[in-house]
Amino acid sequence: MKKYLRNLFNALACFLIVIILNFALPRLLPGDPVAYLTGFAEEEMTGAQVEHYRSALHLDESLPRQFARYLRSLLDGTLGYSYKKEAPVSSLIRGRIGYTLQITLPAVVLSAMIGLFWGLHCGYRKDSPGDRFSNALLIVLNTVPSFLIALVLIIALCFRRRIFPYTGVSSAGMAPGVPGFLADRLLHLALPVFTLTLAAAPSRYLLMRNTAARIADEKYVLYAKQRGLSPKRIQFSYMLKNIAQPFITMLGMSVSLCIGGSLVIENIFSIGGMGKLLTDAVYTLDYPLMQGILFVTTLIMVISIIATDLLCIAIDPKVRLGESHA
Amino acid sequence: MRKRSLSALILGLILLAAFLLAALFPTLFTSHELKQAFPAWLPPSHIHPLGTNALGYDIFTELVYGTRDTLFIGVMSSIMTLVLGALFGTLAAERGAIGSAANAVINVFVLLPRLITLIVLSSFLGSSQWNLIALIAVFSWVGTARAVRAQVIHLSAHPFIENCVIQGYHRGHIVLRHLLPNLSDILLSRFLLGVNSCIMMESTLSFLGFGDLYHPTWGTMINFAYKRGAFLRQAYNYLVTPGICIMLLSLSFYFISMYVSARRESIGE
Repeated sequence: MKKYLRNLFNALACFLIVIILNFALPRLLPGDPVAYLTGFAEEEMTGAQVEHYRSALHLDESLPRQFARYLRSLLDGTLGYSYKKEAPVSSLIRGRIGYTLQITLPAVVLSAMIGLFWGLHCGYRKDSPGDRFSNALLIVLNTVPSFLIALVLIIALCFRRRIFPYTGVSSAGMAPGVPGFLADRLLHLALPVFTLTLAAAPSRYLLMRNTAARIADEKYVLYAKQRGLSPKRIQFSYMLKNIAQPFITMLGMSVSLCIGGSLVIENIFSIGGMGKLLTDAVYTLDYPLMQGILFVTTLIMVISIIATDLLCIAIDPKVRLGESHA
Repeated sequence: MRKRSLSALILGLILLAAFLLAALFPTLFTSHELKQAFPAWLPPSHIHPLGTNALGYDIFTELVYGTRDTLFIGVMSSIMTLVLGALFGTLAAERGAIGSAANAVINVFVLLPRLITLIVLSSFLGSSQWNLIALIAVFSWVGTARAVRAQVIHLSAHPFIENCVIQGYHRGHIVLRHLLPNLSDILLSRFLLGVNSCIMMESTLSFLGFGDLYHPTWGTMINFAYKRGAFLRQAYNYLVTPGICIMLLSLSFYFISMYVSARRESIGE
């Protein structure tokens, strides 16, 4: 129980640090904070404009009051205003985040499942030829950058053989409600999701395989083998229970990993998700938008860590039955 | 085990030596100049093993000259990672306020979404080569710190450290003269793996176009290739070969680290 509380505390501390970083960066760096918070260059603005923005952004107030205003903008969900795109940051992100999640969530689930089942299988038979082979294979795959996977897949499956579309999430003229929309969307999402899964699976696999390999030496596994239980039974009803917690914790961590990976993949497949929004923001020096995206990603990460911690507590028999029984 | 890890070491060293040679003496590998212009988009031939790019530069030459900056960023940021990791790791193993503060810092840095924080910070601070190296190091030291912390706690229970404590040596003296030398194995293997993750991070940033354009690395090359229409020209090797080089370089470090960890295990036995 204490462990989970500490995890929770760490996640909140991390969240707080990102908030403070977001607030402090434009105000501490050399240069006028007005330039950072609007994204316009200092020399291109007239004095009147600078004054207008300074009062619009409340930069003439004291720092604690500015921080209070910043916190309020986070709480009411506007996350500041992007002067480059002339819209509140939250509405920009809300329009895009759906696409990012459509790629990220399937990839998180798929890569975790591959990691769990394959890792369990190989960890149980550790040092067998099959285990060695899949270890070597996934170690090599682990060193391949995700953009290389994406480029090779595009070249092989989109250009050489025209099986998959290579850009966007929908064909022209497709909208929700048009027949075939779902099939079309799935066809568009197949390659990005596959790429992200391939990029995330090796590290998940190695983690689960090593956990399972350590457990395979335990005496209860030996006893189960001696009783003549089938390997499937041992793996799924004996070992799975004992690696469930590291697996769930890993699941929470892979959400933030995959959102990072989705950044690269959205750019390659020209999908207008949050990653594309971030690269656009960086190219146009739209600082409020960048900060908003950093905030939202951290929020997603904190939520996924809290959720997986709660799940861990829920399935932990020590907590469920009370510590005294353990 | 012994034989297999030795062959991994030899393979890794051969690969690494090839890349080091390319980084130090690029002229050994290619007779063209870096900015020597040929007709654009030439297909691969024996003069241009990988063809030429949109500006008419020889792709293979670019690849050879990019080795130096890729390796430099990877190695430098990994060294900084090592220093930060050793510092925070030993601090976190201390008892009292310092230890729990260092632990808290480690736990927070574990959770930060690395890539996105890096991108936002690099656009605020500017993405010169040294900025990139520092930023990558600042967001990569956590794993090293955790390993160092575990090892320091493990070593502190050994009689020779207890002996030092009983003899009344100063804590700083014990850490510097007795603990740190015993961390060399861990630090070496973390350094080798750290080079990998730093190179991966740098190439991802450069691929997205956030790298240092004055020091083009392999990631920058792929970014250019992608932006300048290598897909439409079907110059696939322009897109793929820098990525394969990143993979081979990572593998070479990985092989060497495999040998190091196998050696440590066999000494432990």
